[in-house]
Amino acid sequence: MKAAKTSGIIGDLEYKLPRVKLIYWLFFTIMIIISLVCILPPVWVILSSFKDVKEFYEIPPTIIPRSFHIEKLWDTWNEFKFMRYYINTFYVTIGTLAFTVFFNGLAGYFFSKLKPKGSAFFFLLILWTVLLPSTVGIVPLFGNIVDFPLFHINFTNTYWPLWFLAAVNPVVILIFKNFFDTIPASLVESAHIDGATKLGIFLRIILPLSVPVLITISILTINGVWNDFFWPYMILKDQSQWTVIVAIYNLKATLPADIQFIGLTYAIVPPVLLFLVFQRYIMQGYSIAGSIKG
Amino acid sequence: MSANAGTPTPTYTPKQKKTTFLLYWMKEWSSWLLIIPTLLFFFFFSWQPLLSGIWLSFFKTKGFKAESFIGLQNYIDVITNSVFQQTLINTFMYVFWSLVIGFVIPIFVAVMINEMRHWSSFFRFASFFPSMIPGIAASLLWMFLFEPSENGLVNKIIGFIGIHPQGWLQDPNMTIITIVLTITWRSFGATTLLFLASLQGVNNELYEAASIDGAGIWRKFWNITLPQIAPLIGLTLILQVSGVFQIFNEPLVLTEGGPNNASMTLQLQSYFYAFRYFEAGHSVALGVITFMILMVMTVYYFKLQKKWDM
Repeated sequence: MKAAKTSGIIGDLEYKLPRVKLIYWLFFTIMIIISLVCILPPVWVILSSFKDVKEFYEIPPTIIPRSFHIEKLWDTWNEFKFMRYYINTFYVTIGTLAFTVFFNGLAGYFFSKLKPKGSAFFFLLILWTVLLPSTVGIVPLFGNIVDFPLFHINFTNTYWPLWFLAAVNPVVILIFKNFFDTIPASLVESAHIDGATKLGIFLRIILPLSVPVLITISILTINGVWNDFFWPYMILKDQSQWTVIVAIYNLKATLPADIQFIGLTYAIVPPVLLFLVFQRYIMQGYSIAGSIKG
Repeated sequence: MSANAGTPTPTYTPKQKKTTFLLYWMKEWSSWLLIIPTLLFFFFFSWQPLLSGIWLSFFKTKGFKAESFIGLQNYIDVITNSVFQQTLINTFMYVFWSLVIGFVIPIFVAVMINEMRHWSSFFRFASFFPSMIPGIAASLLWMFLFEPSENGLVNKIIGFIGIHPQGWLQDPNMTIITIVLTITWRSFGATTLLFLASLQGVNNELYEAASIDGAGIWRKFWNITLPQIAPLIGLTLILQVSGVFQIFNEPLVLTEGGPNNASMTLQLQSYFYAFRYFEAGHSVALGVITFMILMVMTVYYFKLQKKWDM
C-alpha cells in the first residue's frame, strides 16, 4: 500500500535523520490509533449483533464476541420486516436519482449552455440558496407538504416530497454547470443546426458526454438517501412507508438492545459496501463538492 | 419571469422595443421552459418557505397557518422563556467545543497522512470510513458505546488506563462534549480529504528549496504548508461554525436535549416548538433569531478576513 509521493514536508534526506525518523514513526503510530478508532466501533457493533442473547447481556460485555449466530439476523429480518424498509429506501433512491439528475442537470445545462438573457439573475438566486440557513423555512415547508399551495394535496406518507426536495440541490446544479462548461459549444451548435431540440440536445448529447460526473453524483445521491433522516422522518409516518433509517430511529424506543444492534447492522452494511466498491468515486466526489462550496 | 432583466439600451423606439422583446421570446421560450420546473421546485421548497417563515414569525398561529398579527410578541415570548438563555449558551458551547476538538483534527490528520510513506491509502480509507455510516446510525452506535454505567464499552476501555467511569451523555457537564465527539468522529474524514487535496497542490520544489536553505520541518510547516492551506482553513471554519450552530439531529437522537436541557440547542428547541408544542409562531421566531445571529457572525467574519488580507 505504498502511494507515490508527490509533495511532503519531510524530504528524503531528512527522513534519514534519526530525530526525524522518530517523529515520522510517532505520526505513524498516531495514525494507526486514529484508524482503529474510526473502524473498530462499527465493526464491534456488527460483530456484536451476531452474539446470542446470553452473551449480549453479559456484564461486563465481551469485547471480542465468542458466539456467532447468523440465524438471529435472519429472524430479525423477517420479524421486523426489514425487507419492506429496504424496498422503501430503494423507491426513495430511484426517484431521488431521477429528480436529481434530470432537474438539476437541466438547470446546469440551462445556466451553462442556453444562458438566455436574464438567466444570470436566477443563477445568483440559486447560489444564494446555498448560503441561507434552512432554519426558518422548516415549518412553512412542512406546511407546504401537508397542504400543497393551490392544489391542496396532502403529501404525507408519499415519497413525492422527498423526490421534489431532491430537485432543490444548488450544489449538484453547480457541479453539473461546471462540468457542462467543459463541453465545447460547437457540439451543441452543430446539433442545433441538425434540427435537434434543446431537450433533445440535453438528453442525447450532454448527458452521454457526462458519464463520469453522472457516476459521481449518482453514488453521492445514493449515499445521501441512506443518510437522510429529517424529512423522511417527518413525512413517512406510516410504518409501511418507513425507510431503513427512519425504522431504526422509530424502533429504538420499543426494541431490546440486541435487536437494535441488528437493525444498526442493517443500516450500516449497505453504505459500507457501497464505499468499498466505489471508494475512488466517493472520495473524488467529496473533493469536488468541497471545492465547489469554496 | 424577468425577461427584461438583461435587456439594455433605452434608445429603441417603443415599436423596436416590442420587436426585440418578441424576438427574444421566439428564440428563448423553449430555454425558459426547461428551467421552469426546477425554479418551481426551488420556489415551493426553498424560497417561499423561507419568506413565509419570516412573515409567519409576526403572527399568532393556529396549526401552521397565520391567524392574527401580533408584532414582536412571538420574539418576546421566545426570548423571555426561561430555557432561551441556556439554549443560546449551549449552542455557543457546541460551536466552541467543535472548534476545540473538531477543527484542528482534520488539519493535522491531513498533514500526517500526506507525510506517510507507508500505508497512506489505508489511512485515507480509514479516516473517511466513519463518514459513510449514516448519521442516525452513528449516533445510535455511540449512544450504546457511551453507556454511562461501568459496563459501557468506552468506560471499560478508559478503565484500562485508570480513568473512572464517566456519565457521558447523562452528565450535564459532559453531554455537549460527548455529542461533539460523536459528530467529529463521523465528519472529520470528509474535511481531511479536502485538506489532503489542497496539500497535494503544494509545489514540491518549494520544500526542496527550503531544505537547501536549511529550513527544518517546523519552518517548512509554518512557512510553506500553512500558507498554502490557509484559505481552506478559513472556509472550513465558517462552514463548521454555521453548520454546528444549526445542530439538531444529533442532540435529538442522543439526548433529546436532556439531561435537564443541558444539551438543548436553538434548532432543537425550534423543532420542539413546532412539532411537540405545536406553537409554529414561536418556532419560526426562534428560527429567525438563529438566522440573524448566524448572519451577524458571517458578516463579522468576512470583515475580519478583509482586515487580515490588507
